[in-house]
Amino acid sequence: MPQNLPFSQRLFRTLVRLLPFDFRTNYEGEMEAVFHAQRREAEQRGGFFDALRLWKETVTGIFTTAPREHWQILRSDCSYAFRMMHRNLGFTLIAVLTLALGIGANTAIFSVVHSVVFRELPYPDGHQLIYLRQQEKNIGQQDIGFSVPEIMDYRAQNRTLAGLVEYHNMSFTLFGHGDPERVQTGVVSSNFFDLFGVSPLLGRAFLPDDEKPDAPPVFVLSYEYWKNNFGSDPNIVGKTFEMNDKVHTVVGVLPPVPQYPDENDVYMPTSACPFRSNKMHIEGRDMRMMEVFARVKPGLTVQQASADISAIGAGLQAAYPKFYPENVGFSAAATPLRHELTKDARPTLFVLLACAAFVLLIACANVANLTLSRMARRERELAVRTALGAGRSRLLRQLLTESFLIAGAGGALGLLLTYGTLELLTDFVARLTPRAREIHIDSTVLLFTLLAALATTLVFGTLSALFSRANVANGLKEGSAGAGTGRQQNRLRSVLIVCQVAFSFLLLIGAGLMLRSLYNLQQVNAGIAAQRVLVLRTNFNWTKYTEDAQTEAAVQKLLDRVQSEPGVLSAAISSRYPFEPEMISAGPAAASFSFQIEGRTLAPGQAPPVSTYTSVSTDYFKTLGIPLKAGRLIADTDSDKLKAPLAVLINETAKKLLWPNEDPLGKRVSPDGGQHWATVVGIVGDVREFGLDHAPSPEFYVPQMQAPQPAALVVRTAAEPAGMGKALTRAIHDVDPQTAVNRILTLEQARYRSLSSPRVIASLLGVFAGLALVIATAGIGGIMALMVSQRVREIGIRIALGARPVRILQMILGQGFAMAALGVALGIAGAVALTGLVKSLLFEVAPNDVWTFSAVGFMLLAAAALASYLPARRAASIDPNVALRAE
Amino acid sequence: MPKNNETESFLPLTPAMFHILLALADGEKHGYAILKEVARRTDDKVKLSVGTLYGNLARLEADGLIAESSRRPEIVLDDERRRYYLLTALGREVAVAEAQRMEEALAQARAKKLFRKPKLA
Repeated sequence: MPQNLPFSQRLFRTLVRLLPFDFRTNYEGEMEAVFHAQRREAEQRGGFFDALRLWKETVTGIFTTAPREHWQILRSDCSYAFRMMHRNLGFTLIAVLTLALGIGANTAIFSVVHSVVFRELPYPDGHQLIYLRQQEKNIGQQDIGFSVPEIMDYRAQNRTLAGLVEYHNMSFTLFGHGDPERVQTGVVSSNFFDLFGVSPLLGRAFLPDDEKPDAPPVFVLSYEYWKNNFGSDPNIVGKTFEMNDKVHTVVGVLPPVPQYPDENDVYMPTSACPFRSNKMHIEGRDMRMMEVFARVKPGLTVQQASADISAIGAGLQAAYPKFYPENVGFSAAATPLRHELTKDARPTLFVLLACAAFVLLIACANVANLTLSRMARRERELAVRTALGAGRSRLLRQLLTESFLIAGAGGALGLLLTYGTLELLTDFVARLTPRAREIHIDSTVLLFTLLAALATTLVFGTLSALFSRANVANGLKEGSAGAGTGRQQNRLRSVLIVCQVAFSFLLLIGAGLMLRSLYNLQQVNAGIAAQRVLVLRTNFNWTKYTEDAQTEAAVQKLLDRVQSEPGVLSAAISSRYPFEPEMISAGPAAASFSFQIEGRTLAPGQAPPVSTYTSVSTDYFKTLGIPLKAGRLIADTDSDKLKAPLAVLINETAKKLLWPNEDPLGKRVSPDGGQHWATVVGIVGDVREFGLDHAPSPEFYVPQMQAPQPAALVVRTAAEPAGMGKALTRAIHDVDPQTAVNRILTLEQARYRSLSSPRVIASLLGVFAGLALVIATAGIGGIMALMVSQRVREIGIRIALGARPVRILQMILGQGFAMAALGVALGIAGAVALTGLVKSLLFEVAPNDVWTFSAVGFMLLAAAALASYLPARRAASIDPNVALRAE
Repeated sequence: MPKNNETESFLPLTPAMFHILLALADGEKHGYAILKEVARRTDDKVKLSVGTLYGNLARLEADGLIAESSRRPEIVLDDERRRYYLLTALGREVAVAEAQRMEEALAQARAKKLFRKPKLA
């Protein structure tokens, strides 16, 4: 634009640029002339205000006209685009579906990752919240918890924390609201909710007075429990319930916030918990059962707080050497709470994220390829439209509209797909992190994937169309679709195919490894006969059973009653059972204890032996089918610890690790520094209690009669056990109606559930990989068909000159095969580079497992050969007469 | 005049469109002349801006209600950028149909005694 034009004219031209290009081409000159005349007239009429009014009218006019004109063009472009999409229905469907898949998978998984891993905790200044941890590294204890005296010390001595609260979770039986009900109860410091910055929806949170030793017991209900069990009763505050033989008053209801580290039904202050408030816990420095959360003072970092906590821990160790033995490797530290909550979920999520990204890449490559081939076919149409006077920008605009529509349709469908899968993913992730509840579709992520899809269609579709359209004359000449650009496009298409094959290879490897891993897991011998065993999680109203003798009597009565039930072959009571969901997520460390072996002294710095233990009644081994290897099983004579010597059974791994060269039978162990000694009376087979992927660790079985901990009723039945839950619940309530029965599972169900995580990953990867394989194969087939159709003349000449059809067949097959082979080679390199990502998810399969690699490679090459076969056969059957005549 | 469906499909016209068609009813005009004529005829009550004028001209032209005239005035009198527009047969039909539509509406309003016929001056 010339610079010497008057300002008003320049301004007018700028304004006019708001109008569509074609409109401007038609009317700009005239409009300028009219405006010029209007302006002159206004000046003649004499005034500044007239001129001002003219400007106002002109600006308003253009601002109202421009959107209308753009909309007009958009409408006609859209209707043209819809016609084109309808005419190429196959292309449209494949492109939309592929994009939907890529967008859907990515949006779903990015949403999960973003909600769970990256987003701040939904509390004010969530990044200042930390999780404190005491460890005994030498004996494999990553988190031993805190005792009350320790909590007091950390609270008093720290200089970096704005607040420090304790938490533990118990299940108590609640009376006064229908059947006795087991409720998950969070036992917390009075300032727990203040620390998190949560204000109650109804009533109040806890006050410092609620935590005093003789304060009247109070509850705060979680939002979900209030909603589901009390129908969101607005008058709930002030109602009373009985729990642990005390009357508790509801003082408040929480808002719907995510609860960490567990989802609880109710909360109570520490003084109301009968365990936490007894003298043994208040004074016992080693009675560690609490978790500790804290808030870092504003302006300080988590690192500073962690250093502070470590120093306090070291101080405690120096002050109380008895409670922090030198050899266990004690230390204390703090981590961001966000980090702590998601540590189990991260490896899995990142693998899924990588896979989803691969799917998106494959989808984009596929759409790019489709678009390129379609543009090649549309060259003539575009050339005709240009010849008829459509401007370059008009065509570009048309193509952009088509791309937008396809990406938009793909995005919408992808969003549906996301909604469909998100619930499934949330269920799955809930097993790995308490943050799963926060998962929702993330608009940033959706936008990102949509833009990625759009960019692909735009870049490959429109630009390639514009470049190849450069020569209109060529485009109009039938059949000669610009040999040079054609070859270039073919090369680009081949590169895209190679990429698709490479990414498909990665996904197939991932799926293959996960499937092999799952297969291996399913083949593992768990060490039990899981068929026809039913487990009922039972909770005695413990306030009624304060003495061991009372509990033992109740256990015996319960077993007698259950065994008289028709269809029951044997029954046992235990403190836990194999594949118990809570134990699988907590891992063996949670059920471990350290002990000493009689006659052995530890070298300085040597860690004491560690084992898990289960308290079981006499028929436990018979009921679960655990074989006896040496010695004897628990007998009725192993009764009350006052009357009979303490007995313990060990598993084979304990023998192997602890008494490798001697007979453990008759040896004695003590869990409490020599106060009590238990004699090893038998050795039983190993059981993979904590999941099939956990190698058996040392396990001690102690008799229920000597350490009563009735928490599970295990029953072997004559027939299918699933139907017996009701009868057995009735039997339990016959003995004591106040016993809560929570979860009824067959052992096979428990075992099946224990594999749900690898199963979901394997299925997701399997689906991803299957789709990738289909897309890549279809891509190879498509491009080979296109190449053959472009080379009909050349192949015709070859045949006319004497090439045998078999040679032609080999040539075309070879080209398809070469692309696939190159893709597989790249895929192998990529897979080897990425093995670290999946390593932690695999079970007894090397991440570069030769068999998986070979099988996947073979499968891809075979698929490529198959896909190239049809076009190759068509090429081989070209009739040179027809091919040459057509030119 | 019998109304056919094509004519009907354009109704009702926007005031701007109707005034432009009206302006062209007595002969072809260029853009500025249309603008002036509309302003004069309506005592400046309808003032078309450049943008509105050409937006409407584009629409009317695309719909075939007006067309560009091939007539050119003598070079000296004329700005070379000017184009002249004329009313097509269809355009005339539509303008008449619109006027009739308005007349019918007016008659109904009168029948309801909404207002009286203005006295002849």
